[in-house]
Amino acid sequence: MIFLNINNLNVSIEGKKILNDFNITINEGEVHAIMGPNGCGKSTLANVLAGNEDYEVNSGKVIFKDEDLLDLNIEERAQKGLFLAFQYPVEIPGVNITPFLQASINSKLKNEKKPELDNLSFAKLLRKKAEELGINTDMLKRSINTGFSGGEKKRYEILQMSVLNPELTIFDETDSGLDVDALKIVTEGINRFKNPKNSFLIITHYQKLLDYIHPDHVHVMRNGKIVKSGDISLASEVEVSGYQNF
Amino acid sequence: MTLENNFIHHSKEYIFLDNETLSNHRENTYKKIFQKNYDRKNNESLKNITISDVSKFNYFYKPTKTNPTVSLIDDLNYKIKLVDGICKNYEDEYIEIRNITNLDFKIFLNQVNNNLDDIIIDFNKIFLNSGIFFNIKSDTKLKIRLVHDTSENFTVFQNNFINFNKNCEVQLEDHFNLTNNSINNINYNIHVDEKAVVKHNIFQNFRNSNKLYLTSNSVCEKKSSYHQNTYNFSEGFVRNFHHAHLNGEYSNASLKGCFFLKNKNICSNKTNIIHNAVNCVSDQTYKGILNAHSKASYYSNTFVSENAQKTEGYQLSKGILLTDNCSFFSKPELRIFADDVKCSHGSTIGPVDESALYYLRSRGMSKNEAMKMIISSFIEEDLLNLDKNIAKEISNNLSDYLKSLSND
Repeated sequence: MIFLNINNLNVSIEGKKILNDFNITINEGEVHAIMGPNGCGKSTLANVLAGNEDYEVNSGKVIFKDEDLLDLNIEERAQKGLFLAFQYPVEIPGVNITPFLQASINSKLKNEKKPELDNLSFAKLLRKKAEELGINTDMLKRSINTGFSGGEKKRYEILQMSVLNPELTIFDETDSGLDVDALKIVTEGINRFKNPKNSFLIITHYQKLLDYIHPDHVHVMRNGKIVKSGDISLASEVEVSGYQNF
Repeated sequence: MTLENNFIHHSKEYIFLDNETLSNHRENTYKKIFQKNYDRKNNESLKNITISDVSKFNYFYKPTKTNPTVSLIDDLNYKIKLVDGICKNYEDEYIEIRNITNLDFKIFLNQVNNNLDDIIIDFNKIFLNSGIFFNIKSDTKLKIRLVHDTSENFTVFQNNFINFNKNCEVQLEDHFNLTNNSINNINYNIHVDEKAVVKHNIFQNFRNSNKLYLTSNSVCEKKSSYHQNTYNFSEGFVRNFHHAHLNGEYSNASLKGCFFLKNKNICSNKTNIIHNAVNCVSDQTYKGILNAHSKASYYSNTFVSENAQKTEGYQLSKGILLTDNCSFFSKPELRIFADDVKCSHGSTIGPVDESALYYLRSRGMSKNEAMKMIISSFIEEDLLNLDKNIAKEISNNLSDYLKSLSND
């Protein structure tokens, strides 16, 4: 089975080309990190994979679990097992976390033709996952991301991932705006979720996040394409010399 | 039928015919409308309506099968049914309710809205055919459900007087149960006496052949509270114009509303709070969801008189436009003549937040489901402080509205 294969992907927004013949292959259970300077197209890649309709895919193919991902809409991609942890999680006042997540997981289960979770079963699952991540259950009574600190927002993204149990998670600069302690808590959550079935695509500027997560592959991206791939040592190279040499 | 025909042919059916002052007043008001003597550009009562449209109607008011009732649902919880504007005369140790008679002309002459430049109130004065006098006695704690039944083709021009006496605590619910092709021009005069607390919830949910023009004028005395919440799920035309006068110090009033429009629905809203005393607080908030070709307007006005120091007055309007064809006109206004006040106003109108929609969909929810969740959240905070039964009723109405969106 092809898990994720992106082949010659070209993407633009408002006529400006952002991704330029972008290629990558991620296998089941692998952790990939993409590093790159501001404006190189990292977040565009994350959003295009999640199905953001603001971006125009000009050409190329994205195969996810043997299916053309670009043929699916936003929710179909999520139901198929793709999860985007947002760089700036959206605040939605009035939409409570618990019913929102229950509706989300039930959409996925329905799509998989599995029985949906009733209120009680879901509440148990949510409480268990929250406790594992050290999230206060009072937080679950609040509106989505409303009034959350930067760290709380990111932890809440990890909670959602943990509940929805995706096969491919894309972290879009999850480390941005986090202090050292919050970064540690978030990466612990990610590491707890790692298993041979789950794959990760981690988008970041800095090595710090990767020190905690230990990716299998590191890629450097510039001008909308990957210019160099390697192991964790590539991250150290970027940390020392910056992106100018790539 | 034209205004002239209605006025001439049905003039014997109105109330207060034997009072010369009121008859003259009625005649003059009729002439004013007949000559279209209104500032049509700036008159807020003419928003979304035209004089010729409201002037053409078939006056019909023959209440024959009247069976209004007053019943106790449980202890201190009343259900009062008005039929075509008529109530059952009733009195006990807590309430007194009766139909207005020609003997009540004095309170009619002295009502607060006499100086309003409002064409709908003028119609109410000309064609007045019913009204109730409702007295809630001092030191009582009650729930009252007032159901307005209007028969098919009826034109009800009603003027109601409600007195909430000292220290009473009342939750009043108004339900409009209109059949078909009815016109309901209802005017409330509400007096909230010292230390009385009133929560007034108004539910409007009826079919599109009916029209409801609801106006209220409330007066709050010292340390009293009047909180009005209007929920409009109607398919027919609704006009909600509500005014509150804070005449006693430390009194407070809120005039809030939510409307949910679809198809070609039109609704016209106005709130107006007049601060006449020190240390008073007011809040005016209207929220609306508009779909298809629907249209709404909302005027909010806070007036702070010279002696109303330490006033706090807030205004807010919010609208979600679900299509490019619907429209929401909002105009907040503050007129402040005191110097020690805290007042604010805000208005946000636009489509559903695309980034919120994207976020919810990225977790697997369908676009429709995500949209419904965002719309529900729009009034979620307003339901938190409501009585459970009322909140449930609104949730059910909202759920029907959301279902109807899927069918559009």
